[in-house]
Amino acid sequence: MQLNGGAQGSGLHSEINVTPLVDVVLVLLIIFMVVVPLAMQGYDVNIPRTSAEAVSAPQDAPQLILSILPDTCGILEPPAGEGVPADCRVGLADQLFPASELTAHIKAIMGGQPKEQRLLFLAADDRLNYEGVLRIVDLAKAGADDLKIGVIPVE
Amino acid sequence: MRPGEPARMQATINVTPLVDVVLVLLIIFMVVAPGMMKPGPEVDLPKTGTPPEQGDARDRLLVTIDERGALWIDDQQVTPDRFGDSLRLAAGGMQDTKVVIQGDARLRFGDVRHAMVAVEDAGFKDVGLIAQRAKAREN
Repeated sequence: MQLNGGAQGSGLHSEINVTPLVDVVLVLLIIFMVVVPLAMQGYDVNIPRTSAEAVSAPQDAPQLILSILPDTCGILEPPAGEGVPADCRVGLADQLFPASELTAHIKAIMGGQPKEQRLLFLAADDRLNYEGVLRIVDLAKAGADDLKIGVIPVE
Repeated sequence: MRPGEPARMQATINVTPLVDVVLVLLIIFMVVAPGMMKPGPEVDLPKTGTPPEQGDARDRLLVTIDERGALWIDDQQVTPDRFGDSLRLAAGGMQDTKVVIQGDARLRFGDVRHAMVAVEDAGFKDVGLIAQRAKAREN
């Protein structure tokens, strides 16, 4: 900052001072580096109560139950690698098909329904591995936006 | 420095970079501190394809189920019979607090389901199951 009239000899600074700019950019970079891992990722679920209001589906909409049982989908240990094992078959509306086709089936069934009626009941056997079940839930979620999951016990 | 006076060397220290650096450090510690105090035991989160975002980890009740099936609320281990009371106590009377469950990937689904039932029995409606994006492994 030079005042008028001073310093005939020294020329004007003609280059832009980038230091504050770099500072601000670095701050933003660091903030985003730190904040991103703090955000959590996961699936919202409900436990429908027999007595209570919770997530009672409208009577006209059919109740869609996704069943995962150990004799057709034996993921008793954490699945290796990514995705669901190829020999895993799941049941949806009385049909049994490989889990890899679940996304397409959900899309076909839920696609035409309004978002607030998209409700899927998950009946997974208690003996199955948690990570394996979540991976199947992930496949189902990929088929429809705002799909609500209600967890029910296997009878 | 009056007009007309010949320019002289700047004798004051330029504190702007110093202030910048200090502010950066301040912001870093403000942001990192809650993450460093992340409660609960270490768990191996399930890795799935595209888990939806759950927003910030703060303002949540964090329930952790470790690989032995033991229940934790934040960093306190609780017994199953005291779980509901402890959870209501931790929520401080705010029943609409979201509860997120961090279950270990090696658990059986039943362990997690029983914990979810216990959370709902304690009066909490909003439950999330925490997962990790499969590509961001070894974090």
